[in-house]
Amino acid sequence: MPYYPLLKAPGAQGWATLCNFSPNNWEANRGRQQFINVTWATEGHWASKTLGVLLPGELRTINASDVADVVPANALALLSLTHVSLPAQSNALPKLDVAQTSVPAWRATLGLSTSVAQTSYQGELDSFPPQGSLLTFGPFLQFGEGIKNHLILLNLENSPKSRSAELEIYDTAGLKPRGRFTVRSNAANCIRLDELGVEPGDLPLFICRGMAAIPLYFSSSMDGAFLSLEHTHPPASLVVHGRRWEAQKLLKNRWFAKVAP
Amino acid sequence: MISQKIQRFRRAIWTWKQPLMRLPPLVGAPISDLFVWRSSGEWQTLFELIDIASLFEDADGPQDVTLIAFDEQGLRVLEQKVILQVNSRQTLDISSMIGRAYGEKGTFAVFHSRTPSSITKLGSFLTERGYVSYRYRGAPLRAYVHGNFDAISLGAGGELQLLGGSSLLRREYSLQYELQHGVVYELGIVNPTSTSQRCICKLVSVRTRKITGAQVVNLPPGGIQLVPLRVDKSEPVRLVIQSHLVMARPIVFRIQNLKLDVFHG
Repeated sequence: MPYYPLLKAPGAQGWATLCNFSPNNWEANRGRQQFINVTWATEGHWASKTLGVLLPGELRTINASDVADVVPANALALLSLTHVSLPAQSNALPKLDVAQTSVPAWRATLGLSTSVAQTSYQGELDSFPPQGSLLTFGPFLQFGEGIKNHLILLNLENSPKSRSAELEIYDTAGLKPRGRFTVRSNAANCIRLDELGVEPGDLPLFICRGMAAIPLYFSSSMDGAFLSLEHTHPPASLVVHGRRWEAQKLLKNRWFAKVAP
Repeated sequence: MISQKIQRFRRAIWTWKQPLMRLPPLVGAPISDLFVWRSSGEWQTLFELIDIASLFEDADGPQDVTLIAFDEQGLRVLEQKVILQVNSRQTLDISSMIGRAYGEKGTFAVFHSRTPSSITKLGSFLTERGYVSYRYRGAPLRAYVHGNFDAISLGAGGELQLLGGSSLLRREYSLQYELQHGVVYELGIVNPTSTSQRCICKLVSVRTRKITGAQVVNLPPGGIQLVPLRVDKSEPVRLVIQSHLVMARPIVFRIQNLKLDVFHG
């Protein structure tokens, strides 16, 4: 069972709607009351707090402001639903022993809002192995007066200790470097993409050799009236059936070799 | 031990010979989602085309995709080759390509002409699950959503095969989302199976668990319907879709104060 992060982006507030009902009626349909928890990394350990309970069949929206006095401003707030409350402190990310589904995965609505608009996707966040890496191609940049584009790189690992890695951004066609940024584990790393010289026909290539992450793209108009949020696929999603994880490895090896760090 | 066997049997009722998506009949056949297009004075649909095969292996010469569009009944209305630009992004204006002669909604598929040998050697198929964006009422920003299903494949002779699996028993898909009062929702439901499907879209009160509204949607193979949803009272409501689709995951268009958000279930 995954965690549900409260997203962060300039000029917008993160929120998540948690659901205590299965997305289907055949994998996990036994309704039980669940605890709503928030978990965050602090001072070398994971801290958790129970925010309330959610009855079977219910939904609850948690805004970033709801946990602002619990979770430090620089920490990623991770929501979860569990049958038993989580320990107040732990050295490893608490394992969430609750019902799971796969068709589809049990998700929450993860969103960003301004005072006049909102955008969301159905998502979740599982912990990544520390030896993981990221390769993705991002065609989501939008262009126009006052439009801002951000990459939100979501990472979660079992260890509460924050570590850093380098995110490299290239133009896929010419392999021209577009930017290099330090990103942190257990964080929603927010990176402005508008000043990298990316043109409308360019396909940006994002590589992080030292950390796996979910790449989200957040676009907003200057007044916050129009928003867009979506993630790109991991390379394994470019193929289906067979040994698709090997296809992912092939693609990563090819592009990691093309652009030496 | 016995309880494990019972559990396995219970699951088998839902999974035995009922894959989410079937294998294409031809090795190396390209697969695509059935993306939803909308085209009208208010709606514009765009697609981000990327040469996926060239990301895996360089090609000898220019490659292309075959873009096939269908109307809401699943009937083919457009077939067009598009030359790919290697390692670039081509934003296709799907609404302009289809025009206004085939209604205001339908689906389209994008089939890549080349599958790298490194992919076929793995027993895998190249699939287009790419990125669609919608512009609503000339907004300065488009709302993006990614593809979801490996819905349809193209054979060597141009024959199409719908790959979606059907369920023996009727299933429920519950959207993990709170529908709100004062917001316009339109639910895009696509039938990726080769048989007609009947879907019942039920609005369920979170507080009382009673059904507050229901709509029946009949979908021919490859067909699509946009189902308008309105929450009448200011109480939390959720959506349940009952059907024989293995996963009746919809695309949700959310419009509030003329601002569009779009996402997959």
